[in-house]
Amino acid sequence: MAVARVEQLTYRYPSVDRPALDSVSLELQAGEVVCLLGPSGGGKSTLLRALAGLVPHFHGGVFSGRVEVGLLDTRRARPAELAGTVASVFQDPEDQVVLTRVGTEVAFGLENLGTPPSQIEGRAAAALDSVGAGHLLERRTQELSAGELQRVCIASALALDPQLLLLDEPTSQLDPDGAEEILDAACSGRTVVLSEQRPTLVLERCDRVLFLDGGRLLLDAPRGEALDWLAQHRPAYMPELRVVPNEDDVGSGEPLVRLQDVSYAYGARRAAGPASLALRRGEVVALVGPNGSGKTTLAKIAAGLLEPAGGEAHLRGRAAYLSQDPGRYLVCERVDEEVALGVGGDLARARRALDLVELTGYDARHPRDLSSGERERLGLAAVLVTEPDVLILDEPTRGVDPDRKALLAGLLRENADRRATLVVTHDPVFAADVADRSVSLGPAREPAHA
Amino acid sequence: MSSVPALAVLACLAAAALLADRTVTVAAITVLLLVVCLRAPQRRRWPYLIGTLASAAFLFLLSPLLASYGGVVLWDGPSVPVLGRLDVTDDELRIALFQALRLAAVGLAFAAYALLLDHDRLLQAAGKLRHSVLAVALATRLVPSLERDAAGLIEALRGRSVVVEGLRGRARLLSPLLAGSLERSLNLAESMEARGFGRPGRTRVPQPPWSRVERAVVLAALLLVLGAVLWL
Repeated sequence: MAVARVEQLTYRYPSVDRPALDSVSLELQAGEVVCLLGPSGGGKSTLLRALAGLVPHFHGGVFSGRVEVGLLDTRRARPAELAGTVASVFQDPEDQVVLTRVGTEVAFGLENLGTPPSQIEGRAAAALDSVGAGHLLERRTQELSAGELQRVCIASALALDPQLLLLDEPTSQLDPDGAEEILDAACSGRTVVLSEQRPTLVLERCDRVLFLDGGRLLLDAPRGEALDWLAQHRPAYMPELRVVPNEDDVGSGEPLVRLQDVSYAYGARRAAGPASLALRRGEVVALVGPNGSGKTTLAKIAAGLLEPAGGEAHLRGRAAYLSQDPGRYLVCERVDEEVALGVGGDLARARRALDLVELTGYDARHPRDLSSGERERLGLAAVLVTEPDVLILDEPTRGVDPDRKALLAGLLRENADRRATLVVTHDPVFAADVADRSVSLGPAREPAHA
Repeated sequence: MSSVPALAVLACLAAAALLADRTVTVAAITVLLLVVCLRAPQRRRWPYLIGTLASAAFLFLLSPLLASYGGVVLWDGPSVPVLGRLDVTDDELRIALFQALRLAAVGLAFAAYALLLDHDRLLQAAGKLRHSVLAVALATRLVPSLERDAAGLIEALRGRSVVVEGLRGRARLLSPLLAGSLERSLNLAESMEARGFGRPGRTRVPQPPWSRVERAVVLAALLLVLGAVLWL
């Protein structure tokens, strides 16, 4: 039985000439796990929003064709009416949290749907348990790390027990073990559509694969057939998982960063350490470890942005740090001015940096008009332009498609000899592509801002 | 004390401060609310306290110059276009102090609401006012959200070798902070709609009944309002 049906769907966002979806047709069967792949800007998020009724109701634009979910036509049924039949988790968990406590946040959707009061707290707690977040029940949402927030958002969707679960990059903030746990919880006994830029784990679990590029559905096939197609047409989506050697300081280049038993605390909570790290010119090091292990904090100490509470930190030369989700931290009205900010307004240097990250011709655009993947590359250009001795990138592949990740890895390797590079990442494929060695932090400490 | 009775007490204290006629009464309420606000963590409370106390101080300093209530002239200043003659009298100072304390009391009551109450519990208890209570709760979160965003923005810029200094440097952050806040509010609205917000037939988690102490405190607060109208 079909849970959802999409017929000849073509959709264009307001004030945009090119359609985000172009003549897309598909059916989703009960209990099917569908992996939705494609490059950034290819239409994946738009398709998920169409299945939730948010396109066109919330976004406006020009909509033709038909989408039916649980026998409701989404042109007539508003998203709030579809809620419960459909549940969505969007890309940025930080922007989805409505309330201030985890328990009430998960209960929010249940209350809206008219769940009997006696069941609400039990279902909220069970949903949190299913994603390994039962211990967060009484915590304040503002205090959670991005990975913890992602679990809470997924629990909020699972609590509704929907027929159709739509997940837009649900594991982007999670370490590999956490990602497996979430996917196992999500893919049990319901129809699920998962959009992913780290597809390895999803491809292991799915029944069917869709590939969207330029708004067109290039592939709709069962898993086995899809794997053959991907291997032939999009090999970056089927990477071989290699292991990066987990080694201490072994290089011979000029030492630029030396952290010896450093630690840091945010208020009463210990966030990192004691941990040690050494970086030498010419090497690319991946900093890996589970959520909450203090990777971001250690990276900020290495960049000189935080003073350690204990231990010794030595930095030689100039460091540049690209934060997680750099698209949030844009201050200028033009792309070239944004990049030039770090080099005293030198627009020629800014344009060269934009060329490096394949944003040629974007100079005059407003940074906030760019897609999330383009903003990520803009952020990268803004730190590369400063030509730092130490380059530190925190989760630079979040929302970046596999082809672009390969390009990013190539770009970082290309000029690696000029600097020391530290990449904080949960993405084992990217870590293997880019790094000479990895440094692994221990298991999660007390909840931290990592 | 749970959130709903605590909110009732804060509302009563603010109402009493607005209704009372004696400066000493309003001053006592202001001090009480200031002590309550000081229970909040230092990192979170400073924007509220500085905002409230600076506004009250501004009112106290400016109001005597512009008002004309008579009394003994303490300072006779120049005549300024539009504003007229600037002077300060003892009555104007007394009234300015009274109004500044009122403003501080109301501001501190709001600060205590924002800093110390569990907004989720208020929302769950809101019944038919749920939409309004949620709107107020989300608006209340704007200040801490902007503060967090500003800290993130400054750190991100430092990571790009851009140092934000002085009032002018910080003023440049206002526009991106506002843009970020608008983006976030749109994403949040989308998420709320996808989770069935606004759909009829809503239910709520059962609320625990008020304790005897809570009832007594709310009753005392209501009596304070009555007293403010009649005697204070």
